[in-house]
Amino acid sequence: MQLKIDNLTFAYNKKEGNIVENFNLEVQKGEVVALVGVSGSGKSTVLRLTAGLEIPDSGKISIAGQTAAGDHKFKAAEKRKVGMVFQDYALFPHLSVEKNIAFGIDHLSKANRKARVRRLLELVNLEGFEKRYPHQLSGGQQQRIALARTLAPGPELLLLDEPFSNLDAELKDKIRRDLNEIIKDVGVTTILVSHDREDAEFMQAREVLMS
Amino acid sequence: MQLLKKIKQGSPGWFLLTAGIILLLLIPNLNIIINLFGKAGENWEHVRDYLLINYFQNSLILVLASGLLAAFLGAGLAWIIAAYDFPGRNFLSWGLILPLAIPPYIGAYVYQGMFSYTGPLQTFLRNDFQLQLSQQYFDFMNIRGAIFIYTIFLFPYVFLMTKAFLSRQSASLLESSRLLGKNDSTIFFKIILPLSRGAVVAGSSLVMMEVLNDYGVVKYFGISTFTTAIFKTWFGMGDLATAVRLAVMAMLVIFVLLFLEKLLRGGRKYSYSTSNIRPLSRRKLKGSKKVLAQFFCYGVFFFGFLLPTIQLLYWSFLSRGGELLGTLNFALTSFLTGGGAAVLILTGAVIVATTARMSSSFISNLLARITILGYSIPGAVIAVGVLLFMLQLDQIFLFLQTGFGIEINLVLSSTLVMLIFAYAVRFMGIAFNSVNSGYQKIGESYFEASRTLGKGVTETFFKIDLPMLKPALMSGFLLIFIEIMKELPLTMILRPFNFDTLATKAFEYASDEMIYRAADLSLVLIFFSTAAIYLITHHRRRKNNAVEN
Ligand SMILES: Nc1ncnc2c1ncn2[C@@H]1O[C@H](COP(=O)(O)OP(=O)(O)O)[C@@H](O)[C@H]1O
Ligand SMILES: [Mg+2]
Repeated sequence: MQLKIDNLTFAYNKKEGNIVENFNLEVQKGEVVALVGVSGSGKSTVLRLTAGLEIPDSGKISIAGQTAAGDHKFKAAEKRKVGMVFQDYALFPHLSVEKNIAFGIDHLSKANRKARVRRLLELVNLEGFEKRYPHQLSGGQQQRIALARTLAPGPELLLLDEPFSNLDAELKDKIRRDLNEIIKDVGVTTILVSHDREDAEFMQAREVLMS
Repeated sequence: MQLLKKIKQGSPGWFLLTAGIILLLLIPNLNIIINLFGKAGENWEHVRDYLLINYFQNSLILVLASGLLAAFLGAGLAWIIAAYDFPGRNFLSWGLILPLAIPPYIGAYVYQGMFSYTGPLQTFLRNDFQLQLSQQYFDFMNIRGAIFIYTIFLFPYVFLMTKAFLSRQSASLLESSRLLGKNDSTIFFKIILPLSRGAVVAGSSLVMMEVLNDYGVVKYFGISTFTTAIFKTWFGMGDLATAVRLAVMAMLVIFVLLFLEKLLRGGRKYSYSTSNIRPLSRRKLKGSKKVLAQFFCYGVFFFGFLLPTIQLLYWSFLSRGGELLGTLNFALTSFLTGGGAAVLILTGAVIVATTARMSSSFISNLLARITILGYSIPGAVIAVGVLLFMLQLDQIFLFLQTGFGIEINLVLSSTLVMLIFAYAVRFMGIAFNSVNSGYQKIGESYFEASRTLGKGVTETFFKIDLPMLKPALMSGFLLIFIEIMKELPLTMILRPFNFDTLATKAFEYASDEMIYRAADLSLVLIFFSTAAIYLITHHRRRKNNAVEN
């Protein structure tokens, strides 16, 4: 089991009540799961809890068989090996594409790092973009670089928050296709968030409804 | 888990450092309050029975009148600049900030010199028009004069805050009122003023804090306030205990003001998310309205910046450069002290702001409150607190020395350390706000992205946060730098022997009626402040343009 969430409960603040309540989810290795639900139903919050960006009030999260949160333990985000592509991509504006992708793999030797960056750029079909800066890329290109950066350290789990929002129909089709291909290529366990069930079908993902 | 949630995602190192800094900031102020319960000084009874009422009265009149006038002047100008277009508007939108480059105590002696019997205005009237007017028309050295000085040189605080607020407002707001047939003055009084009340009050309370902090103007004009009283009991009579009591009284005034501010600002904040609104479009002015707007704005600019600067240039010209070497010397001292202290203070502020960002909103609000506290407390009061603290440290050192034979030759209460520490207490809030607004602009997602890529809090700070904070740090540095260059009361009280900055020396010369010499130093000071203001405003502007494109 790659991800196991038991009875997860969380509130941003007590007064506003629980955003996530007794939530359960199991994801097998290599599986692609789509969290589907209306806006405000707590999809992003579940991703943030999984990534270690928020601390649950109760419940348990295990990733690749290890406890990430629960039983009075809390593993910090940087130790979880969970990759997340943010809705706004969050590419570091002061770093080149190359340095962005290499950010999470600076424990590798220089040669290995360079090779891996090149391989990832190939994977996302953006060879030769090493020296560019994020502001010189289109939205679709930024997303693919963000994906490459997230995949670089070889995460146990890939989280995608609304990867198809803010896109026009034509581009959306292409990006869905590309993304699907890349994920299947890498074989990484993936949870993606969408408010559109069509996305889930297209990605051949198992749908999990949030309400 | 719950405690963890409160401090959210920090590392203990950051929290410890921050706790240390916060403690250091609080100690001087707590010291004063604790000392209140100690023995009263020998002069206290006399001060309490005969003088205190006078201090209260003068301080309150100065503070309230200047605050109110600056509020109207600043808000009115902000409205004109934000809502109308006319030739010169672009220049004025930063030119009207420039009065801030002239410290009020310099403005005070310039105006006094200009309007005095031997000054240029009266000489001109006498010689060319045979006009001998009663001296009371020209007397600046009173409360009215002080209020004028404070208003004309401090109103930019209100102007800046209100302008920034208005620039974030939606165009539809104005358009709908115009469509409803309201004329512009109705819109100003009925819509703009109530809407921007929070910003106006915030700016105006800055003005009031500055007035209460001021030592130079009131001393020069011979008006007794808390600040001058603290100086007098301490330096004149050597009665620290009475100075402490006065400091507490001044703090009471501050707390009343802060409470009033909170009340006046009102609970509700009117704000939009900044991204999706159409900003105010400026209406082009024509004919007499154009002339009127120009006349008003340029008039304020003239009296708040141009006229005093020209007068100073003239005096400086008369002195033929004076003692160039001396001027350079004081400039260097100011420069090094200001620059060094600004770097230190900013470093502290970065640590606190970074911790605040990793904490729950409760803790980060608390940190913001504590850091800004020093800015609302008059310099003379902080000086008393810091001195008490340093005397205690000295005693501890002395004790260690005599008791254990440990050799520490540190007498803090007479060194630059004390002064820089006092600057930190007073200006940490400005630094914190700069860094914090930098963080708010950056947002959370870069930080979080770095975390999910396997970097801890500290590594993320050095690799991501710090480089992205650079513009905020730059403008924070400039802000603190000019504040310290202009600073008078703290520096006067706490400086080591023979230590003079441009500010203290200019003030001394002016007090001794050596106006020409004061002019050289003042001009250097004004030059640096102007340059800093130019850099801050124009840097922001460039960036705004880049975002808009
Ligand atoms: N940082 C936050 N602080 C407080 N409330 C939040 C925060 N982030 C999200 N919320 C609230 O939590 C609820 C769920 O948000 P989210 O998980 O983003 O939903 P979704 O991604 O399904 O649209 C919303 O009502 C939102 O207002
Ligand atoms: Mg969401």
